[in-house]
Amino acid sequence: METGTAKAVTLPGAEDLRNPAYLKIRDVIYQISGIYQPEDKLYLLASRCARRMSAVKASTPAEYLQHLTARGNREAELRLLLNEITIGETYMFRSPSQLEALRSVILPQLVQAKSGMGFKRLRLWSAGCSTGEEPYTLAMFLLEESRRLLPGWTFDILATDLNDNSLLTAKAGIYGEYALRSTTEPLRKKYFKPYDEKRLQTTDKLKSLIRFERVNLYDEGKMAVLKDMDLIFCCNVLIYFDLASKRKVVQHFYANLLPGGYLFLGHAESLYQIDDRFHLVLFPGVVGYWKPPIGYKGGGKP
Amino acid sequence: MNALDQIRSRIKALEAMPTVPAVVMPLASMLQQPPEHIDLEKVVELVSYDSTIAAQCLRMANAPLFGRRKTETVRSAILALGLKRVQAILLGCCVNKIVPPDKWALDAVTFWRHSLGCALVSSKMAKLIGYPDPEKAYLAGLLHDLGILVNTLTSTDEYRECIREACDGRRALHLSEESRLGFTHCQSGKILAEHWHFSADVIEVVEFHHDLAAAPADAFLVSIVNLSDFLCRVRDLGYGYYEAMGVDLAGESAWAKLAGHYPALADMDLARFTMDIDGALEEITATVDAVFKPQHSALP
Repeated sequence: METGTAKAVTLPGAEDLRNPAYLKIRDVIYQISGIYQPEDKLYLLASRCARRMSAVKASTPAEYLQHLTARGNREAELRLLLNEITIGETYMFRSPSQLEALRSVILPQLVQAKSGMGFKRLRLWSAGCSTGEEPYTLAMFLLEESRRLLPGWTFDILATDLNDNSLLTAKAGIYGEYALRSTTEPLRKKYFKPYDEKRLQTTDKLKSLIRFERVNLYDEGKMAVLKDMDLIFCCNVLIYFDLASKRKVVQHFYANLLPGGYLFLGHAESLYQIDDRFHLVLFPGVVGYWKPPIGYKGGGKP
Repeated sequence: MNALDQIRSRIKALEAMPTVPAVVMPLASMLQQPPEHIDLEKVVELVSYDSTIAAQCLRMANAPLFGRRKTETVRSAILALGLKRVQAILLGCCVNKIVPPDKWALDAVTFWRHSLGCALVSSKMAKLIGYPDPEKAYLAGLLHDLGILVNTLTSTDEYRECIREACDGRRALHLSEESRLGFTHCQSGKILAEHWHFSADVIEVVEFHHDLAAAPADAFLVSIVNLSDFLCRVRDLGYGYYEAMGVDLAGESAWAKLAGHYPALADMDLARFTMDIDGALEEITATVDAVFKPQHSALP
């Protein structure tokens, strides 16, 4: 799940953001979690730090950095800070650039590559689906695009999470205005039914496209049987793993994907020094990690 | 007469246009000298003669990318920017003047955002990999799409159609130029770059930045600008329309060429580099607005 906007906290002024301590905190976080905040997102980092700063009674970012990096504190404090950084609700249609890349490049590419093989089926996996916003978005998107891009194709979406409560919420499919803020009126009419005064519920038809399941990404036996994926979405989940576990999970993802398939991470995450077999592919506004087909020699656009 | 010859003769006709401010030539030739021979006070004096150039130096020096402090005199602006950057501004300034406001086919601000973005990304990449002249990379990035201005000027209406076609088809501009005009901005840009006596390596960038296979094997500057151009086009610093593309940057031939000579490229954290471009977007926009948007305020 992607991070939402900060809850009401006093935002640091522009001068504060130039404090070099924030850049150092940013780098510490990147080293450990792979989450990177570019300069224009430092205000977000600063506001999240502000909450931890007041909790540990640090009066300046430099003081907090010291606390964060002090031996004995480091691991626990970093976890608390990461919790702050990764909280926030997500919503449907959160990443239009990702959907646009699917629409204009990736789906046509997959269709072309796979139609030669005879099976007209796509498999998607939302790994760490949290409360379901991502898999429902993908389902609506595919249904909307299928007539034009995927005539005669079937697709299934696997949505997994470790958290039982999140999965229950996801299966129920009941969402309020925040989750639906970017869902257009026609889509609401088509794929939702009224639940109560303030909320809508996904239709059974939409639910039927998604298989919800509890999966621990660290469970090797389970990971080994999830095969033949075309697309894996794993947003802001790897941050909870240490480097060795991250490598293991990503190795599994690589094996889970069919050649030519893509892995998508959260917008601030990177696989640098985690796995070098994936090719970083740049699409307008979004990056994907591509598992090249067998025999791919480079030399241009996938 | 084929299409390129036509362009050549149209560019010859451009000579008559009042393009280059009088002060530019002496200034440019002075800046060509080795740094220890440059008389800074003379440069300040020449820059101050031309209000447009002086204003651009001041705006650039005060743009967020440089200006952590307020720069108020031409002298301090030149010191803050450095002589090579002043030279790049000079060229940008001349280039900007060749297109009258009503003739722009691609929006002027969009064009300069892409050019400045590419300049900054090129120089940053050059520094990261250890390329010896990052300021040259900056200049090459800034001017690589010179040919777009030539096409705008020599084939205004047809070129507008060409851009619309690229936009509707969501494809790269040089492809639609090829099919519609019969030549690309790389070819037309080269003619003007030669005409203006750009240095040989910058001319190569203008000519080959979309055609690495044709570039000389050691044209590393071309590779740097080619990769930077891709990076800009996928990070909201393109031509203002959606290009349906997915680029495996490390699989590009420019990458292989560059990495062969600059091994540091292979260690580059491309994801982080890409995100850093996003972080610089706001500043690039502000700088372009400051430098290239017509402003009516009185000069300091």
